[in-house]
Amino acid sequence: MKKQRLLLFMMLCFLLFGLCSCSKKSEGEKMRVEGIDDLPGTKIGVQIGTTGDTYAQDYEGDEEGTVLEKYNKGADAIQALKQDKIDCVIIDQEPAKAFVEKNKELMILSEEFVTENYAVCVAKENTELKEKINGALAQLEEDGTLDNIRKNYTGTDEEKGKFPYKKQDVKRSNGTIIMATNASFKPYEYYENNEIVGFDVDMMQAVCDRLGMKLKIQDMEFDAIISAVQSGKADVGAAGMTVNEDRLKSIGFTDSYTTSKQVIIVRNPEVTAQKLSLSENIKENFITDGRWKYLAKGLVNTLIITIFAIMIGIVFGFLIAIVRTSHDKNGNFRILNGLCKIYLTVIRGTPVMVQILIIYYVIFAAVDINKILVAILAFGLNSAAYVAEIVRSGIMAVDEGQFEAGRSLGLTYPMTMTNIILPQAVKNILPALGNEFINLLKETSISGYIGLADLTRGGVIIQSLTYEAFLPLIAVALIYLAIVMALTAGVNKLERSLRTNER
Amino acid sequence: MKDNTESKGMLENTNKGNENVLVEVRDLRKSFDNHEVLCGISTKITKGEVLAIIGPSGCGKSTFLRSINLLEEPTSGQIIFEGTDITQNGVDVNQIRQKIGMVFQQFNLFANKTVKENIMLAPVKLGRMTKQEAEKKAMELLERIGLPQKADAYPAMLSGGQKQRIAIARSLAMNPDVMLFDEPTSALDPEMVGEVLNLMRQLAAEGMTMIVVTHEMGFAREVANRVMFFHDGVIQEENKPEEFFGNPKNSRLKEFLAGVLA
Repeated sequence: MKKQRLLLFMMLCFLLFGLCSCSKKSEGEKMRVEGIDDLPGTKIGVQIGTTGDTYAQDYEGDEEGTVLEKYNKGADAIQALKQDKIDCVIIDQEPAKAFVEKNKELMILSEEFVTENYAVCVAKENTELKEKINGALAQLEEDGTLDNIRKNYTGTDEEKGKFPYKKQDVKRSNGTIIMATNASFKPYEYYENNEIVGFDVDMMQAVCDRLGMKLKIQDMEFDAIISAVQSGKADVGAAGMTVNEDRLKSIGFTDSYTTSKQVIIVRNPEVTAQKLSLSENIKENFITDGRWKYLAKGLVNTLIITIFAIMIGIVFGFLIAIVRTSHDKNGNFRILNGLCKIYLTVIRGTPVMVQILIIYYVIFAAVDINKILVAILAFGLNSAAYVAEIVRSGIMAVDEGQFEAGRSLGLTYPMTMTNIILPQAVKNILPALGNEFINLLKETSISGYIGLADLTRGGVIIQSLTYEAFLPLIAVALIYLAIVMALTAGVNKLERSLRTNER
Repeated sequence: MKDNTESKGMLENTNKGNENVLVEVRDLRKSFDNHEVLCGISTKITKGEVLAIIGPSGCGKSTFLRSINLLEEPTSGQIIFEGTDITQNGVDVNQIRQKIGMVFQQFNLFANKTVKENIMLAPVKLGRMTKQEAEKKAMELLERIGLPQKADAYPAMLSGGQKQRIAIARSLAMNPDVMLFDEPTSALDPEMVGEVLNLMRQLAAEGMTMIVVTHEMGFAREVANRVMFFHDGVIQEENKPEEFFGNPKNSRLKEFLAGVLA
């Protein structure tokens, strides 16, 4: 207990220290960007895979030493800009407005960078769906629905919010459209009250209403959207996506449904960042709009994945270990042992991140499978390989005499294993097993890569809403720490109760 | 404690008829890699006999003993136990082992079980007794070896001598027809050797068939009906204890005895 209090105390110190050091950041002499002509020689931030990224690449590596920093989300780039890590951000106009509205110390340069068309992406061979959507878009344009959506999200201040699209009550018997998006691109798609809303969502809902279809939305990284649509994980991608030549090589696009501009965001030299007090900060990050729910839901998913993955890991791990040791002792299971060895080599020889991507995008490419199930399977099978080797070492560490004594009494191999060897092995390997499960818990934090809203991603979503990294991430870290401490305490207790047969 | 028939006079039993042969070993050979440890061992053990096997370390005496219950798989040769050649394929080894008790140098009590559980495990798991019967039997055996108060202790809390007596009780719980002892006192502190040898003496007196690999010459001379000297994987000499110790013929045996008795 004392140890745990000390740890908690250290975390708090760390937190306070971090808060202080944040606010003391000095204003270094940074490049000032006032127009497109100033871009060479600066550090430009973009969201990876966006058209802003494509345009900015023209500057990268020029003789002025321009540097291109690519971020997973627009919000990350904005944050980097606020922290003076970069000099400007090139991004779509509407998200830029949303960002600047929230961050008074930033501003949009009046000089526009480029004008472009947004469209919905569809798999190339899926011309039928493309034609259907085009037809619906044309109708929506004609009856003014699309215009109302535009006004509602991207119109003047008077128009904004005045024309909400209402989901129509129609018969939806023509199937489902799964829409891939990246919900950190306000006003096109973003989280509000734990739901994904925005321009593209309304637009696709209107399309589905027209077509008599259901709409299902999947949130993922922006640069994963095209591959999700290609592989059939999603039917369409609607994420403020600009049609350009690179993308046309791999994916089809519908007609454009709106236009946007790429603009440049810079720090506003006249305004210094307003500072929120800690309590305001906590309120903004966790209380406002019920944002703590992102963490709560994420925590539930993380726990579900971890618990079931541990169970798979234990069952398969023990089976593999028993096959392996039985082969070494008696020469049984020759083929099975070979298979187990291949399994161990492959699983331990590749990153779990790649494994989960392969399971989701390759093995279950054509199936609409629950992501939590994919994560449980991926982490469970991965853990099984490590558990197997831990258990095997535990079995081998039990004195050979124990085994001989059992067999000499006429006990069969399975009886000897289950009654004598395994109970002793488990006692020996408990610390190593506990360690493995702690690792497993922490590794689940990569679930976000298949768009699963786990604990880590919950924190990241809050971060994208509040442009504040510190509190959401520290909160996430503290929750992981708390679970790990609970897990460790549980393992220790189990260890003590199993130690009764020692002096 | 043995409720079957063979508890009759057993001190003079070296020349019994064939129907009394419990174990017969024919030309037993065992090699590890290319090294031959047993080079053709043949002998017969009759019911109620106590056979002591002595010899320098590495002579193959332990391997021979462990071959009898197939903890070591013979390379060639036959072991006929109660009329069955147990080296043949298709023989239920586990069934045979239930009738052959074994006591190890390192005791090998199950570390994760209490003393009572150690004794009860095999009879219950193998369907020989119900849990209640096994528990009763275990307590009887513990009474007999004078350790009833240790019934719920774990092996790690016991002295070596106590452990070995319990290991013997564990074997007895299966009512074996023969018991193999693999240097049962070699890992004991000297003051504990006596308690284990006394228990073995009792068993012999009750008519248990025993094969004992040992360095305890006193025990071999006093309790055994026959003593066997192993060297280089061969039986160099075997005889009744008086002859064996009083008038050894084999030169290596003479040397060995001179060494250990000095």
